[in-house]
Amino acid sequence: MEQFSIVGKDVPRNDAVAKARGAAVYTDDMTLPGMLFGKILRSPVPHARIINIDTSKAKALPGVKSVITGKDIPKVKYGNWRLFADTQDEYALAMDKVRFIGDEVAAVAAVDKETAQEAVELIDVEYEELEGLYDVDATTKEGAPAIHDYCPGNVSVNRKIEYGDVEKGFGESDYIREDTFEVHAVSHAYLEPCSALAQLDLDGRITLWTSTQVPYIVQCLLASTLGMRENDVRVVKPFVGGGFGGKMELRTWEFCAAFMSKQTGRPVKFTLSREEEFLTGRRRHPMTLHSKVGFKKDGTLVAKDLRIVLDGGAYNAMGPTATFLCGNFGAMLYRYPNYRFHGQHAYTNKPPASAMRGFGAPQSLYASEIQMNMAAEALGIDPVEMRLKNAQVSGDKIPDVATISSCGFKESIEAVARMSDWKRRRKELKPGQGIGIGCYSFISGGVFNWFNTQYPFSAAEVRAFSDGTVHLLSMASDIGQGCDTAMKQMLAEELGLQMKDIRITTADTATTPQADLGAWGSRVTLMVGNAVLDAARKIKEQLFGALSARLNANVVYEMECKNGMVQPKGRPKKAIPFGDVVAMVQKSKRGEPLIAHGYYTPRDKGLVTPAFGFGAQIALVEVDRETGKVEVEQMWTAHDCGTVINPKGVEGQLAGSIQMGLGYALSEQFVMQDGKTLNTNFLDYKMPTAMDMPPSAVEHIDTYEPEGPLGAKECGEGLASPTAPAISDAVYHATGYRCKDLPITPEKILNSMEEGA
Amino acid sequence: MTLPKFEYFAPESLDEAQQLLLDQGVGAHLLAGGTDLLVKMNHGLLKPASVIALKHIKELEAITYDPKEGLKIGATALLADVAAHADIRKHYPAIAAGAHETANVQIRNMGTVAGNLCNAAPSADNAPTLLAMDAEVEIKSATGERRLPLDQFFKGPGQNALASGEILTAIHVPAPGSGEGVSYQHISARGKVDISAVCVGVMVHMAENGCDDVRIFLGAVAPVPMRAAKAEALVRGKQLTEETIEAAGIAAMEESQPITDVRSSADYRKKMVAVLTRRALAEARDRALKR
Repeated sequence: MEQFSIVGKDVPRNDAVAKARGAAVYTDDMTLPGMLFGKILRSPVPHARIINIDTSKAKALPGVKSVITGKDIPKVKYGNWRLFADTQDEYALAMDKVRFIGDEVAAVAAVDKETAQEAVELIDVEYEELEGLYDVDATTKEGAPAIHDYCPGNVSVNRKIEYGDVEKGFGESDYIREDTFEVHAVSHAYLEPCSALAQLDLDGRITLWTSTQVPYIVQCLLASTLGMRENDVRVVKPFVGGGFGGKMELRTWEFCAAFMSKQTGRPVKFTLSREEEFLTGRRRHPMTLHSKVGFKKDGTLVAKDLRIVLDGGAYNAMGPTATFLCGNFGAMLYRYPNYRFHGQHAYTNKPPASAMRGFGAPQSLYASEIQMNMAAEALGIDPVEMRLKNAQVSGDKIPDVATISSCGFKESIEAVARMSDWKRRRKELKPGQGIGIGCYSFISGGVFNWFNTQYPFSAAEVRAFSDGTVHLLSMASDIGQGCDTAMKQMLAEELGLQMKDIRITTADTATTPQADLGAWGSRVTLMVGNAVLDAARKIKEQLFGALSARLNANVVYEMECKNGMVQPKGRPKKAIPFGDVVAMVQKSKRGEPLIAHGYYTPRDKGLVTPAFGFGAQIALVEVDRETGKVEVEQMWTAHDCGTVINPKGVEGQLAGSIQMGLGYALSEQFVMQDGKTLNTNFLDYKMPTAMDMPPSAVEHIDTYEPEGPLGAKECGEGLASPTAPAISDAVYHATGYRCKDLPITPEKILNSMEEGA
Repeated sequence: MTLPKFEYFAPESLDEAQQLLLDQGVGAHLLAGGTDLLVKMNHGLLKPASVIALKHIKELEAITYDPKEGLKIGATALLADVAAHADIRKHYPAIAAGAHETANVQIRNMGTVAGNLCNAAPSADNAPTLLAMDAEVEIKSATGERRLPLDQFFKGPGQNALASGEILTAIHVPAPGSGEGVSYQHISARGKVDISAVCVGVMVHMAENGCDDVRIFLGAVAPVPMRAAKAEALVRGKQLTEETIEAAGIAAMEESQPITDVRSSADYRKKMVAVLTRRALAEARDRALKR
């Protein structure tokens, strides 16, 4: 492992003290003079034409300053896939139809929350109800009514991948199995509900503070929907209480706050309630996955044919990306010489599914990991051995995707098997106990550019000062994952400074360098990290030049930044303090500030990602055979995220992933009836609590990613995938219940055990 | 998510509270911990004209135990205090467990056992054990005072036997006799912090010739916590062998009347009634034999 002085250390997070003290200011904490409170009227019916909307009573209510419907706003659709305009299927407010319970119909801004609520209740909407369709079988059936007029058949995205010769591969296989898996929707359940506050600036421009993962995307889409120029809209991200993929699009309340502030001249704030979040919020895609896979007798993979139908809900949201990525994840982890994928994204009259931590991987990998375990059992091969035999390694080429530059997958499998004493435990557990394995791979940011930006994918600006401090500016969005801290660590490392020497300003589209595509797809560490290092190296070039001149040094000497000094490499006696050298640079340029810009855009890295993270996880469970309840007793994880920038940060990602994985596997689900979500609070939406967290052990596999900053790659989302298959496999080991339709409920376990008995 | 407007009173004596309740009439609601009341108000499900807080009335806080008189839990005694009370943990471990397993730390530090009963949710964690132990509620109003067996207190989901102007001031639980054992068992979809999908409270009295008294109460499987009379009949007068306990569990399952809702299917609830009744009987028996 390379030796670093700050990278790889448990540095306290930039935001830790503010959050612990309750001093962190989130959007809903903000109040501006004359501010109005917004409220959205939502559709109570799952599918209907809007015949008429009467807002007269609402408008007449004292204290109401604005009431808007689809008729009042520019007729501009939006969506993150700007390169493919026909995928942009959403208006900020319904124009002629509503497509799910909770679809946004009208908005009110009033002097206080109570008046806004009352006004919303005074709006009369006349609906002509249409048949509601709640599952993909119903919407993709011949003759099913179109949920969007532009899309008869209701399949909005088709994606195919094919390489090798799949049929020939099956012909050469000794063992073929075909399975269908169903996976369900779960909520991001971020602690901070969505909130947006807009202000009309004195010069007619708009400033929007919003709880988002993607300030730049919101800026661009908001400008186009308002008919303004991009830079007439300023988006600022305050503290954000989690996103997990649920805050990466322009949303209705962001548009309405901006539109209504323009209309009224007063600041307007919208904050969603938890009930609105659960009733109407984005969620992880439910999917049906048909997977056919062929092996040789010895367990070698030969071919895979994967067909997936995603239940997208009423709008595309980030569904096209999830469809795209499912196909890639279906071919990851193992070597599939022959592979075919067909993904279909279908509309239903339910709240739209969208990006959620893992972005298609938790679903796709649930199917492939469970199927791997089933095949291992049928072939009489240990699941760990089966994985080692087929595991991807550094240098493997995935057609049309990339060459895997660094891969610690085999090492991860071996490590986790050793940590958990897999071989012994697999044989020697007491009745009711079980142990199982799940693995993952994930992207370190996407190369695909459907947002079609002209800017670099990531940018950073570094300003160096003669007092020995530097100021880092970037549009990277810390939404709780800790990237501000990681970026400061990398900059401090590169410039030989301490954390306290670095001021950071981020995620303000008017003042931080353009642009950044946001915090999603596990992209920030690698992409923004590279931009930060690019800027830092440009600063160093200038410092080194000035120092060489000052010392009259031989041109062959290499220079370095170390311990707050700049010096010829290994010659601390010649060192000059960092700030003094900055002053030298400035003086040589008539006082011009020392500023450098850095950028990163992946090039020649295929269409998916510049680098992959890998890992393996083992779960030990005990199942109460009378109640069917599953207690997860221990998790072991070994993973490859390249260079670990902040170990505590990585462990935090792991703990959060396990918590989400527990919920996905065992307890979380939307209880729905006729398109309506019935469990709209944390009492009945069964997210695991701190009390449910199992003990967890982790080993970081030592790899160095050549494309990554200081060797780093992703660790935020990949870990969201292995927990559910590992628990599921352990439950099977304990009870004989093989879950092919998540979640694993006590009732399903009991029913299966009764059938088996 | 905004509280409706209401008048707030914080009387310091019970007399004052009773008078206020009388004066304010039907629009008045009593506040103990507020962990149910304020949630309902926040969601617009309840719009009381006035709220009368009981928290400043010193005499309502008390938890007292006397080996002859038994246990008295005041109306504003916190769930956390009941769960941690040394005498309750020693003499009434199932009551302590019920309080400790209600909701989460924050709610236990605000909410009360009396409030949990008055809220009258079919799933109330504190009801089955107190019912099994033959608890009574002490009810006072400006015009009088009465004691009501707890099994006559629940009238339906969210409905209790309090008449207008009445305040539940305390819960009385008889002193546990020798040979008596009590158990509380519950289950829910989430692991450790959750509202119960099924809960069971059991009290048995063991004599030389077997179980001579038993009370079994089931929560969240009927509109009110229900007594499993058929299961009791199978146990009473018998040695509590595994077979007897098993049969009682099945009888309880058969007489329970659960519904399917967001928290569980009726079918799973029925199965769990059998399991939890069996486990509660076994634990109560083992505790009884140790006394």
